Amino acid sequence: MHALCILAAWLLIICSAHAQTTVSGQVTSGEDSSPLPGVNILVKGTANGTISDADGKYSINVASMDAVLIFSFVGYQAQEAPLGGRTSVDITLATDAKQLSEVVVTALGIEKDKSKLGYAVQDVKGADLIKARDPNPVNNLAGKIAGLTVAGNPELLGRPKLYLRGKDPLFVVDGVPIQSDTWNISPDDVESITVLKGPTASALYGSRGQYGAIQITTKRGTKDSRGISFDFNSSTMMENGFIAVPKVQDEYGPGDHGRYAFADGKGGGLYDSDYDIWGPKFEGQLIPQYDGELTPNTEYTTTFPSGATFTGNVKPTPWTARGTDNLDRFLRPGVVTTNSIAVAASGDKYDLRFSTTYAYQQGIVPNTQLSTNNFNIAAGIDLSPKIRFESNINYNYQYTDNIPDVTYGPNSLIYNMTIWGGSDWDVDDMRNYWQKGKEGIQQIYADYTRYNNPWFMAEEWLRGHYKTDVYGYMKLKYQITNELELMGRTQINSYNLYRTEKFPYSATSYGREQALGDYREDKRTLMENNTDFMLTYSKGITPTFHLNASLGGNIRTFSYRSSYATTDYLNVPGWYNMANSLNPVKSYNFYAPMQVLSGYGYVDLSYRDFINLSLTGRVDKHSALPKAKNSYFYPSASLSVVLTEAFELPAVFSYLTVRGSYAKVGSAEPLTQKNIGPIPSISMTGNPMGYGSVYETPYDGPNFSNSPVYSTSLLYNFQPAAAYTNTITNDNLEPSFSSAWETGLDVKLLEGRIGLDLTYFESLDGPGIYNLPISESSGYTSALVNGIKTKRKGWEVVLKGTPISNPRAFSWDILVNWSTYKEYIDEIYPEKSIENLDNFRQVGERIDQFWGTALVKTPAGEIVNTADGRPIPLTSINGNARRFLGYANPDWVWGINNRVSYKNWSLSFLFDGRVGGVIANYIQQQTFRGGRHIETIQGAMGEARYQDYLGVKAYVGPGVVLTGGTPVIDKEGNITNMSELTFAPNTTPTYLQDWISRNYNTNEGNIMSRSFAKLREVTLTYNLPNKIIGNSIIKRASISLIGRNLLYFAEKKDLDIEQYGDYTSPGSGLQTPSMRRYGVNLNFTF
Amino acid sequence: MKPIKNIVFLIMLTALVFSCKDFDELEPNQNKPTEAPASLVLNAVLNDLFERPWSLEHRQNQFSCCNYNYYGTNEYWSSATLNFMTLKNIIKMEEEAIRLGAADVNPYAAIGKFLRAYFYVRMSQRVGDLPLTEALKGLENVAPVYDTQKEVYIQVLAWLDAANTELAQLIAATDVSLAGDFYFNNDLSKWQKTVNAFKLRVLISLSKKEADADLNIKSKVKAVLDNPSQFPLMTSLDDDMKYVFNGTSNLYTTNPGNRGFDKGRYNMSKTLLGTMADLKDPRTYIVANPAEKEITDGLAPTDFAAYVGAPSGESLDDMTFKAGNGEYSFANQKRYYSTFKGPEPSVQIAYHEQCFNIAEAINRGWVTGDAATFYRNGIITSMKFYGIEDGTVIEITEPDADAVIGTATVSVTDYLNQPEVVYAGNTEAGLEQIITQKYLAFFQNSGQEAYFNYRRTGYPTFDVGPGTGNGGKIPKRWLYPVSEATNNTANYKAALQQQFGAEVDDLNNDLWINKD
Repeated sequence: MHALCILAAWLLIICSAHAQTTVSGQVTSGEDSSPLPGVNILVKGTANGTISDADGKYSINVASMDAVLIFSFVGYQAQEAPLGGRTSVDITLATDAKQLSEVVVTALGIEKDKSKLGYAVQDVKGADLIKARDPNPVNNLAGKIAGLTVAGNPELLGRPKLYLRGKDPLFVVDGVPIQSDTWNISPDDVESITVLKGPTASALYGSRGQYGAIQITTKRGTKDSRGISFDFNSSTMMENGFIAVPKVQDEYGPGDHGRYAFADGKGGGLYDSDYDIWGPKFEGQLIPQYDGELTPNTEYTTTFPSGATFTGNVKPTPWTARGTDNLDRFLRPGVVTTNSIAVAASGDKYDLRFSTTYAYQQGIVPNTQLSTNNFNIAAGIDLSPKIRFESNINYNYQYTDNIPDVTYGPNSLIYNMTIWGGSDWDVDDMRNYWQKGKEGIQQIYADYTRYNNPWFMAEEWLRGHYKTDVYGYMKLKYQITNELELMGRTQINSYNLYRTEKFPYSATSYGREQALGDYREDKRTLMENNTDFMLTYSKGITPTFHLNASLGGNIRTFSYRSSYATTDYLNVPGWYNMANSLNPVKSYNFYAPMQVLSGYGYVDLSYRDFINLSLTGRVDKHSALPKAKNSYFYPSASLSVVLTEAFELPAVFSYLTVRGSYAKVGSAEPLTQKNIGPIPSISMTGNPMGYGSVYETPYDGPNFSNSPVYSTSLLYNFQPAAAYTNTITNDNLEPSFSSAWETGLDVKLLEGRIGLDLTYFESLDGPGIYNLPISESSGYTSALVNGIKTKRKGWEVVLKGTPISNPRAFSWDILVNWSTYKEYIDEIYPEKSIENLDNFRQVGERIDQFWGTALVKTPAGEIVNTADGRPIPLTSINGNARRFLGYANPDWVWGINNRVSYKNWSLSFLFDGRVGGVIANYIQQQTFRGGRHIETIQGAMGEARYQDYLGVKAYVGPGVVLTGGTPVIDKEGNITNMSELTFAPNTTPTYLQDWISRNYNTNEGNIMSRSFAKLREVTLTYNLPNKIIGNSIIKRASISLIGRNLLYFAEKKDLDIEQYGDYTSPGSGLQTPSMRRYGVNLNFTF
Repeated sequence: MKPIKNIVFLIMLTALVFSCKDFDELEPNQNKPTEAPASLVLNAVLNDLFERPWSLEHRQNQFSCCNYNYYGTNEYWSSATLNFMTLKNIIKMEEEAIRLGAADVNPYAAIGKFLRAYFYVRMSQRVGDLPLTEALKGLENVAPVYDTQKEVYIQVLAWLDAANTELAQLIAATDVSLAGDFYFNNDLSKWQKTVNAFKLRVLISLSKKEADADLNIKSKVKAVLDNPSQFPLMTSLDDDMKYVFNGTSNLYTTNPGNRGFDKGRYNMSKTLLGTMADLKDPRTYIVANPAEKEITDGLAPTDFAAYVGAPSGESLDDMTFKAGNGEYSFANQKRYYSTFKGPEPSVQIAYHEQCFNIAEAINRGWVTGDAATFYRNGIITSMKFYGIEDGTVIEITEPDADAVIGTATVSVTDYLNQPEVVYAGNTEAGLEQIITQKYLAFFQNSGQEAYFNYRRTGYPTFDVGPGTGNGGKIPKRWLYPVSEATNNTANYKAALQQQFGAEVDDLNNDLWINKD
């Protein structure tokens, strides 16, 4: 608290200072008439100077009305302006062809010349995001920023994971942090996105900026000379054609070892419930099936080639592959449309912009969709020449009555149709999904235990999602004197979520085997307010030496409330209401308040514009930390030198800057966390029902993991039972710290035709707050302590080139982004000499090692089989043994952006991808084990599979048979007693089904490379020439053909690997097949 | 400009004032309690005590088999799961009772002592030595030294005596302060009987240490049996410590909801069903369906030869194939899959087990008495558990549609009078009969006791093969959890050295309790 109070007092003193008469005006760019911030203004022959503010405005005291002002700015030609008695001087600076400047938005929305920054930033213009767009706006950043990995998620409402130098960055809109689920941003309102890659860049955002920030600057007003403009942007895309889909066999139906007979789908038949696809070959033979006639008085006996028989009352019918393309016939083309209208106006003293966007996505799964309405209002008023008021409010409403859930389980279409569904039934026969006389109560399907009819799921099992996001701010800027500016700002950031699930009678999923329906409601409210003030002092100390300093304070007030309720089965089918619960309703509620008080400041010093030093400091008091240690300070420093200004370099160098920076950031992590799930009172990100996906919302609030509490649950007779925490809490925890340094250079050659921006960084994350494992015999499994350091190191390269440049005819621009990083374990808990992060990963090693389940192998790498000819899982000998299967993180990430233009035509295309890393492919594992994988009918496996059906063991797996001794396996999967063992080549045949059930039930058997490449975006645009538009009301118009995800290259294409971005997902899950998208974009400005 | 300036400052100062309010109250978790009534903690602990029927443990008891590799195997364990978190909750329960004004001797404290003993036995039977003296002290000692298994058992017996004494005092004072007990509905006298029945189980489990003077097992057994007023014991099925399934919050493990999953995938084991069928045991008809192939091949449903269990050691590729072709018996599908409440409670400590334990004590000559009576009483009680008495008519069903395919009229008396069943006297043969009957009576009950008794006596013979893993051996113990190896390394290694003469944590090493 003290820091703030002192700041406030200081402010009072400064504000009482007396103001004087001034000369003022605005500096604009000759290039596009935009305001130029940061321009040096100097009274000629004196040390008296200032710089222009974010709006290009300045004011300065002069001794004489005959003085001459000198305006200088990197990238522009310096200009002198004699006052000649004027008190207002507006000036337009012409660009300096030799210098190529870029103005970027830095922390807190402060615009700076890129050459003055000691750290890496990169930006993307809003215009590049609105044509070949992905339904999720953040997915559009893939390949466009070096060091930012976007692990796009193709599902409806799927959320991309972002890895900025390997960590999840902060989202900032117009200088204020927001909680973003990445869907609450409308690209049509984005002027530009600037990515601050390291902690130095974002230290002023405090803890939340420690992993960098994605800063969104929204559009304001208009630059149109009429003072008013209308924009219309429309994209329509079709989703059609798989780029990644599992390939499955259609020669064998459901069952086990070639046996199957339907009786009731509940186990009354032969493998007629919860079946695998290891059943009889489709040969037209007669087998009782789900749609066979039930004749209670007649019995039919079916005999199988293996010798099994089944006698039942369902009349056998020909066994054929009726549903070879069930999935294709069930899915439909997806549609993605976005329409946006914006009205903008500007005058002498105001700027206004109103916009609305409607985005609609029709899912490829029938009866699924997602709509988003976005409204945005931005306004700015100059209350006086010295006072400016600005505000922006964004309202975003996402809604759908049904989204699919693809997560592994009977809730998933892929689970039901691709992995565990055979082609013995025809999806068109499943369309009328209610049993006659049991409408609303009982679905029709080929199984009545585990699986669900796809049409029934699509039409009856409904998941509604209704989320409102509102964020906005008001800001007042007051130019107190020439040198002194005061800014006050208050911001809100909020969401309201309402989710429902209607789980119909006769649907089953994990844990809901009684199949009596359910209804669930999930409500969450987040409200956050950030109130800031900032006082900025800016002065030229000498003609060549300039000081810019700022002091500010921030109060972050956070509160989150949620409730989750579910029935425990229903009484009345189809009545979805809590009042209809068969057993007591289960209901959970959660309240989390938090407050962070901060004071911060920075000092920027520049010498002749080409040496720039910037220092920042921030102090936080954080309510999520223990009382004794909840205040902490952290600094940053950065330096840049424009060598081309400082020295005479060879002419080939148009521009050369070197930079370096260091920052340390403190935080309350992991006592706060990024995302939150439905039942935080039980588990912050847990699954209340035990099936399907857990929808997490962005949170960035406290998790109370340092509170000594009982957890309660309803056990016997639904009575509460209390169990005490297993973690020893700690009142003396220090905040987490991470520190980082980086260095880089930015060079432009040949008049800017070639540009290279190169960065090296190292980030030391920690010591953090660590759950130190202790002997469970203490009564606790862990103790909260300060510990663990990891180190990230990496390179980022941005290469820009203009191989061909002819604005009147043909030109070609290319932008290549390349980045790599590796994360190492630096220290665990030195006080106790603990050097193991877990059973396998140790200090000094990479953190992304993948130690997976595997088979017993000889040192020569041969699979060891038991006498029955089946491989041995390591875990059956040593439950803790795993084998090192590779590093999970990609080695490097790349993107190549191209823009080719010829007269009114332009073509943009983006390739991007990643190289390196491994993952365990769960789709492969399950399609193999379930008997559905295409390779089970090919080659030697195909031959053996037919023998399985005949009841003959015929598959001889590779490797050796253990003929003597018992292997001892160490934790790293090695046999340690080879001398005691004897082996012979394996010649023992077994059933293919049993061999596969072992061989593909390990991570090792399903390992695949994470490398992939995508042709991500293609945009072919035709700008309507003036001779067509003429004098019509249309100012500009363009039409584009657009495509996304047109090509996909990867080792295995049953899986679109993209969404698995790092080692935190060592194995894949299921996914809706990835599709190509293509369509048309129209863009008009009136 | 003055007014605006003033407004800005006013806003800021207001914000500062508001922000200072209640700041320190934001840190604690308002969503969970920091204190809880002892009864709620007891509820959690009693749930931890419960061991489910039809679990992996019961496959390892060789009662049944999983033939479906996707869902499981018949292989044995590696690491044990220890119960120190539960033990901590027992301590918290005792503290919470005192916090709310209970006297030092109170039901939670008394039952707490029994529960400590119970969980220490559960753990020590698996791994051997355990931290005890230095354990459960939180941050005070995060790496406790291990006590030997013998020291653990001495403490266990002391706790049980103390629990018995305190319960007697509370019963005498008609204390009614216990709540949250779903085993005995807060009846302290049943708890006291359970304490002593369990004490007999513990003493019998130490049979290989009968000569140990520190333990003094024989006289402890004698003291219990000679002083029924001081050490009341269970007297009937009604006294069993049992978990009753209510079909709503607590479902029987097998039920109509999972019949479709289990169908064809879990068959009976030869170790249990073969033993039953060989003895023409009427319980055969209760627990299993006849193998379908035997019926289609012409055997009568009542023919004990139609009841075929799979050898637990059989390779799964064979077992799954044979099971699918109807060669094996499945658990009685109608009995075990028709309701959510299940056909029977899950017994944790049974009166019939107590009968067999007393019979064994007599057989071993620790006490005098008529072993045959206790032996027969154990069998009769187990029959009663399944509703079998002389003249009971059992309907035999087939596994697919539960159709009745035969009936058997059974007689317990006839069963008991068979030469193989008639007690052979206080000899090794008599001991084998006692343990074998105890094994049959343990079916789906009492956690891993069937295995512990097998390990101690070798009865009945367990089947081994590729299907049971571990290189064709039944393991002798569990490994310590890997967390002990990493978080309490020095003491863990010392404990291994102390027990096995080497720092090797091996499944096939004998524990102290199992060494002659």
